[in-house]
Amino acid sequence: MSPLTRIRRIVGDQRVVLTLLTVGLFLYFGMKNSAFFSTDFVIYPLLRDGAVLTVIGLAQLCALSIGHLNLAVGRMAAVAALAAGASYQYWHLALIPGLLIGLVTGALLGAITGWMIVKSQVNAFIVTLAMDFALLGFVTFIYVTFTGATAAFTTKPAGMEYWRNTSLHQYCIAGHCGPRVFPMMLVPAIIALILVGFMYAKTRMGRELLATGSNLRAAKLSGIPVDRRVIMAHTLSGLLAALAGVMLAFTNGSFTASIGSQFMLPSFLGPVLGGTLLVGGAVQVLGTFIGTMLTLVIRQGLSVQGIGLETLNIALGLVLLTALSLGQIQKMFTSIRMRGRT
Amino acid sequence: MKKKSLVAGILALALVVPASAFAATPDFSKIKVALVPGGAHPYFQPWIAGGKAAATEFKIGGTVFNETGEWDQTKQNAAIDSLAAQGYNAFGLFGVSPSDINTTFSNLKAKGFAVGSLASCPGGYDIVKEPQKNSADFCLSTDTGKAAYLAAKAVITQMGGKGNLVHLTGNAVDANTIRRMDGVKKAIAETGGKVKLLTTITDIDTDLQTATKAVSDLVAAKGKQINGIVTTAYNPAVAATQSVASTKLPIKVIAIDDDPKILSAIKSGTISGTVVQNPWGQGYVGSWVMAALGSKACTMKTPGLYVDSGSFLVTKANVGTYNTTRMATSKQILKDFQTKYMTCK
Repeated sequence: MSPLTRIRRIVGDQRVVLTLLTVGLFLYFGMKNSAFFSTDFVIYPLLRDGAVLTVIGLAQLCALSIGHLNLAVGRMAAVAALAAGASYQYWHLALIPGLLIGLVTGALLGAITGWMIVKSQVNAFIVTLAMDFALLGFVTFIYVTFTGATAAFTTKPAGMEYWRNTSLHQYCIAGHCGPRVFPMMLVPAIIALILVGFMYAKTRMGRELLATGSNLRAAKLSGIPVDRRVIMAHTLSGLLAALAGVMLAFTNGSFTASIGSQFMLPSFLGPVLGGTLLVGGAVQVLGTFIGTMLTLVIRQGLSVQGIGLETLNIALGLVLLTALSLGQIQKMFTSIRMRGRT
Repeated sequence: MKKKSLVAGILALALVVPASAFAATPDFSKIKVALVPGGAHPYFQPWIAGGKAAATEFKIGGTVFNETGEWDQTKQNAAIDSLAAQGYNAFGLFGVSPSDINTTFSNLKAKGFAVGSLASCPGGYDIVKEPQKNSADFCLSTDTGKAAYLAAKAVITQMGGKGNLVHLTGNAVDANTIRRMDGVKKAIAETGGKVKLLTTITDIDTDLQTATKAVSDLVAAKGKQINGIVTTAYNPAVAATQSVASTKLPIKVIAIDDDPKILSAIKSGTISGTVVQNPWGQGYVGSWVMAALGSKACTMKTPGLYVDSGSFLVTKANVGTYNTTRMATSKQILKDFQTKYMTCK
């Protein structure tokens, strides 16, 4: 491959373009107002929030990989956080066992959703929407019934503060400490990125999920157990939604009914901006992280400029629309170039 | 003799100098106050005027109102962080999540910022008895239970002390709503069974459309059974006012807050009255207190102290004058902070 072709391929990669856009915007906002480079008030919280939203993006990505949508990601996160919070409050479990209870709850909810889709043959959009409503009622009922006026599980297991407040800076090797801006909350997100990326890129399971999303009929004729793969995709989606829900509870400080209520839009933004197809068959795991960070950089950048709510949302929408159109713009330029040659 | 008289005079003067005169003395020029509600809601708009009035009167370095939280605790925290990065060093907050906002308060205080919880007081159910559960420097908010009790008592009086009452309110999973529900129940209990709570409708304060639909459905289904409606949230109050006006049913309504539609309905006699809160005072008094704490001119005698910002029953009789009373109450609350609740240099 010639160097020119290699450069063209790199430039044509949506993830590279998104990374450049994210870094470019980060520098632009920082140059406009140096406050944006603040470690404590901008970069650290940005990465910490990015970690949570990346995981919820991965949860949606798993459903998208088979051409489905999971409209219940937020509520699955809420129920999982509820289970973890209740285990800390009533059974006084340590951090990890409580987290595991949350993860199992999320995975079970995902598996039930997948099973209902397979058995009922109803569109995933409808099933997950119904699931979202059912879980909303369940979460409200549980918090109102068991926690009264507090409406939250407030017991904090040992170690919760650590995940919220600490950075890699406290770990030093031979006198060299990690960066202060690297929140510990990024660690579970990176692990999730690696595992999900590995599954889709290197395992048979991942390939079968993508094949199911790409063409269900062809996958079935190829001998892929598509029903089981649909259940698996939704189980993974529930599992990752649960992880995001518990991470958000750790970040905010308590387990409340509102956990996950704002997850829906970011769960789509990250993967779709990153290059995951809504129709299934193609995913971009790393792109999910980059897409998520792009939206956060835009939002926080505009916020630091002191832009009001209405302008902020208009600007956010315009920039995201431009970012989403980049692929089309690239295609248009390539087409014009090709026509020029012929 | 002359010297003795002079000393006595100075001492006497020191004793009688009003606290408000002291209020202007500290240098607040390095304090920048950020007033951050959980999201956009008409209730918080008077914070802007209150904050600006305090900034001008007490020469506070700056004031800003930021409503970009969009009712998401994560987004509100991000908004607060961006304001801190811009140099704001005193924060008056209405937390999205009552149980999570304490973490935000603690984080801000750990960084040396003055923090006030405005319009709500997180922590335990009884905010007066359990102020230790609030991590802000102080709370300045409506005693929601008391305001709801006041409203319910007023509507029961209008109903002639008997009949069926409906309570319209906000988010069921919120401590303030539960306090409001308890306030209404307390007023009903005092009637000895003459007034019955027909139903309590929650979660309809998200927007006016939701509230209007809920009230229309209610009036269509049970309009003839209802004798009174007490509303303890903004959107249901406006919706109930509109609904009663359009159906012309003989339902007595006590609303909440002072939306122009509500005030107009009181003037025309469509509804009986409203219980107004004091968001202007929260912005005005809160800004001074945060500036005093941030500049280290004063400290709270009881950290996390809860102070009622006041609630006032407005009827046709005082609809033209209630704002004067409210402003006077705000000044009095400020004086109480300066003289009773804080220790100043």
